[in-house]
Amino acid sequence: MDSDTNDVLPLQELSLDEAITEVELEESYEEDEEDELEEYVTLGTIEKPKHPKFLLRHLFPSKTGGTPAWLDPVELPTGKFSRCDFCEEPLQFLLQANIFLFLLIYAPIPEKESTFHRMLYVFICPSMSCILQDQHEQWKRREEDPRRSIKVFRCQLPRLNVFYSSEPPRKDGNDKPLSVGAALCSWCGTWKGEKVCSGCKQARYCCEKHQAMHWKSGHKNRCHHIIHNLESISSSLPGEKLSRDKVACSSLWPEYEIAIEDECAYDAEASEDASYEASSLVTQHVPDDTYQFLLDKFEADDNKRSWASFQERISKCPSQVLSKESILIVDDVIFNRYSRDLMANPLWPLSIGRPSMTNIPKCKYCNGSLCYEFQIMPQILYYLGVKNDSDSLDWGTIVIYTCLASCEASARYKEEFIWVQLYPTAPIS
Amino acid sequence: MAERGAGDRGGFGRGFGRGRGDRGDRGRGGRGRGRRGGGRRDEEEKWVPVTKLGRLVKEGKITSLEQIYLHSLPVKEHQIVDTLLGGRLKDEVMKIMPVQKQTRAGQRTRFKAFVVVGDSDGHVGLGVKCAKEVATAIRGAIILAKLSVVPVRRGYWGNKIGKPHTVPCKVTGKCGSVTVRLVPAPRGAGIVAARVPKKVLQFAGIEDVYTSSRGSTKTLGNFVKATFDCLMKTYGFLTPDLWLETRFSKSPFQEYTDLLAKPTKAILIENSETIEA
Repeated sequence: MDSDTNDVLPLQELSLDEAITEVELEESYEEDEEDELEEYVTLGTIEKPKHPKFLLRHLFPSKTGGTPAWLDPVELPTGKFSRCDFCEEPLQFLLQANIFLFLLIYAPIPEKESTFHRMLYVFICPSMSCILQDQHEQWKRREEDPRRSIKVFRCQLPRLNVFYSSEPPRKDGNDKPLSVGAALCSWCGTWKGEKVCSGCKQARYCCEKHQAMHWKSGHKNRCHHIIHNLESISSSLPGEKLSRDKVACSSLWPEYEIAIEDECAYDAEASEDASYEASSLVTQHVPDDTYQFLLDKFEADDNKRSWASFQERISKCPSQVLSKESILIVDDVIFNRYSRDLMANPLWPLSIGRPSMTNIPKCKYCNGSLCYEFQIMPQILYYLGVKNDSDSLDWGTIVIYTCLASCEASARYKEEFIWVQLYPTAPIS
Repeated sequence: MAERGAGDRGGFGRGFGRGRGDRGDRGRGGRGRGRRGGGRRDEEEKWVPVTKLGRLVKEGKITSLEQIYLHSLPVKEHQIVDTLLGGRLKDEVMKIMPVQKQTRAGQRTRFKAFVVVGDSDGHVGLGVKCAKEVATAIRGAIILAKLSVVPVRRGYWGNKIGKPHTVPCKVTGKCGSVTVRLVPAPRGAGIVAARVPKKVLQFAGIEDVYTSSRGSTKTLGNFVKATFDCLMKTYGFLTPDLWLETRFSKSPFQEYTDLLAKPTKAILIENSETIEA
């Protein structure tokens, strides 16, 4: 057997000179000749926060998991906004992003005073069966009032507002918001706690289910003590607790901070052909070719082609070891391609299930058009420790579209449009 | 886009939220560049899986490729194969072929790499990738080869003594004009084949086989694809020992949930599946 291997000529020793004599003309298979347009990519990477204190709302964090840091702490979304439309359970907090509105050269809007602080909140129902039903709903037109199990809210505040000071926070541990917000549910810590425990009058809940869960999981014993003041409570006023005590619910996702940075998309391998400009503008991006499957089995159908380019793009943003200014662990990209540029396109892992222009509705409040804001990648599921059962969450990508004009409306938390692309449940043949 | 550079915009110059300013320096020397280590990055430094199957493999719930093959789950991340086959996987570049396209400004040359990977024990994969640089093509082809790893069935020529050593039956594969036929051989015959398919068969772990090929075997691309196609067919051939009815098992996506404990959830899933259908 070994002699056989010795007999075989080492095929890789075919030198390039010999090979060139066999130069062939290429078959004309289509390639994605991506245009040489500059691509501005903003990436958000997951990091462990330096201290949980830094994720409080007066520091305007971008975070994922845990509980949301509401920008406007008083007028929180309630009622049907806070629930999954299929199972009626309150939605779970996925992530929030502090995204500042850039003024682009070719955007006609002047800088808006009212959008000095701008936060986007994404909530999702953790049940996969609801997401599967949601898939059908997202294709429906707005007039039919589709029911969603994943929702995104935008909240913006001007620089001068009643909740926060106009100066940037000093981050020395002494920052405080100007006023106390509404009390949140003692179980999930996410939604407004409008209902009060009839026993102790201290614990607040957003819905009956959470009250029942909290009761079962320990409040039953403590309620009695609280009534008779046998236990000291952190705050006697009905307001939000600013200290980051753990909320009672144990099924919330682990908390991380999201670092949002601009990255110019570029190809490390093709660095010699790319020409970098020293100016503050983006670098010339010469993308590598998309994967080409040539065999019949490997023939690139649309899905495989888009998966191939998706893989390539995310592999270009590898796990990055952070620079010396921070002491955080290795992170990875979880959402990218934030761009309010009208030409920007999200990165789709599959070719099926993409929305066309008609599928994206108009803004609910100002009837203006929506534009692509950012997308959430499936790597986040790994960080959140989502289980891998048949009913646990899984998605290809989640894309958020927001009002182009970032309109002001009466509602504090304005609902925006969200699109989910799932991996197909059946294996692709 | 010029405004992006300025740091005194609203939101307190982006430093309001996190103190992570420093966006004035775009271009080469910026933080983005520095973080990537100047174009050279460690591969598989830390793999963050993107698909559910990837997450299951990373956790360790799936221990062998056979579980994936059993349920025909599509493998979309090459790190899955890396994790499961580990160091046993070897790769070999069969050929680098320059291909050209005529443009107004002359010819544009790209390099096509053919890579075969295998563990010499029943798994083999083939990848073909074309790119502007040889290294890129090879790297891409290795990844594609890992994604296309298939199981190879081995059998006996005569007495069923010892380990299977040859193909279970005569199989033939075709690509372009090249057809390759594999015929079972007795132990000790070795791989009786041309240079190119011999390599592939060695990677597959077949010890003895007679081959016969036809067509323009000079075209290495088609020759190697034909052999690969042939090997894929070994598990597609119904032999009498496969006549027994299969007992189906739960796919890995279902194994780790206790469906029996939550009957309502199971019904819900079924309902949504019928909506999907």
